[in-house]
Amino acid sequence: MTNANCDQLIDYLNGTLNEEEQKQFEAHLAECPECREIVDATGELPYLADPAAPNPGMKARILDAVFDEEEQPAPLAEEPIKRDKPAPPAAMAKRGFRTSKWTPLVAAALLVSLLGNAYAFYELSDQPDAPAAPEVAFETVDLQASEAFEGTGTAALVHEEGALNLLVQANQLEPTSGDQVYQVWLLKDGQPIPTGAFTPSQENEGAVFFSLEEDTEGWDTIAVTLEPNRGNTAPQGEIVLSAAIDPEA
Amino acid sequence: MEKISDALLYERVRGKDKAALEELYDRYEKMLFSYLCKMTGDRDLAEEALQEVFVKVWRGVGSYDESKGKFVAWLVTMSRNAAVDLIRKQKKPSVPLDEIAEVESTDSSVEETAEWQEKSEQIHQAVRHLSEEQQKMVHLFYFKGYTHETIAEKCGIPLGTVKSRIRLALKKLKTSLQMVQEGGVLDDKREL
Repeated sequence: MTNANCDQLIDYLNGTLNEEEQKQFEAHLAECPECREIVDATGELPYLADPAAPNPGMKARILDAVFDEEEQPAPLAEEPIKRDKPAPPAAMAKRGFRTSKWTPLVAAALLVSLLGNAYAFYELSDQPDAPAAPEVAFETVDLQASEAFEGTGTAALVHEEGALNLLVQANQLEPTSGDQVYQVWLLKDGQPIPTGAFTPSQENEGAVFFSLEEDTEGWDTIAVTLEPNRGNTAPQGEIVLSAAIDPEA
Repeated sequence: MEKISDALLYERVRGKDKAALEELYDRYEKMLFSYLCKMTGDRDLAEEALQEVFVKVWRGVGSYDESKGKFVAWLVTMSRNAAVDLIRKQKKPSVPLDEIAEVESTDSSVEETAEWQEKSEQIHQAVRHLSEEQQKMVHLFYFKGYTHETIAEKCGIPLGTVKSRIRLALKKLKTSLQMVQEGGVLDDKREL
């Protein structure tokens, strides 16, 4: 029962039909059970591969890039800072997957909230009858600027129940141009993973929050590079800020 | 509670529901990433391809509805084509060889879940019923990242013949897969 349309199936799967042909073939697909069943069978082909574990932090990076498509430059700098702005709920810090571009104020509030969690733990642990609290380790580091870079920055890392929350804030940043972004990386033995990107506000400040749901790596370095574009999985630009971190923390 | 169908989730994605997109991502991350890793032989490139697929889903590029078959098949087609494009552009990062070995060996495979195992057994069994030539066509088209033009070139076969061979291979795969799924174990001697 092959007809002329059925012959286009492989071009359709190969993505080489032009717009008009594509429409025609899709109309044919709706009418031709055999072609549809063949297409359906191709949906099982990935199971011929060995199952692979996702790259560390992959979900966060991908969803960040996906949703970032339409959340381009928010007019952050135009807004006057409101001191009574409520802090984000602590649950946001546990969202788990998302990197976000925070205004410095929100980032600061979030940092306080993270510090609060860690502090609450230390308070609890002083009391002999306190229930076993989840293990929390907290570390802040000042990022060192590379030569010829004027900016400054700090990073806060909170390890809690196997997850890592990372908050990076930077000031006095040089403005970016075109598609440029400041990209944050965690490194272990010189191997980086991207952990969120940001562009500076008009006040030349920027911040990014990142969560790794299962963090077992023992990162030894944090770095910020100026990348020519968003979404690089390995650094292409120069390192502008960096610091050693304690892999045991 | 009944699981929401892929098609319904996709509808919600079209209405810019981020949670629905995340649910679809969770459903197919492992399957598509495993496939893309095998196809590209490069975990970074596989991630890039997967990202392109979900950016397209979110933007509504080449919209899906049930008249086009199963949602997962539509995703697999998009994944394959994203990877073919990236391979063609040769965007593979230049990582020194000794580092590649290390990256690849770091938890590159995970334990198979029962569902994965079942699906995997079914498709492997179905593929075994294809002729050697048909297996080769499926392999080149779906796992080597070759377009039908490239296959025609490499194998020295006219393009029209390549297309009809891939079609025939996929048609037979469909039939044998249906029999495996319906009948449990397929009798090896049975003619398809």
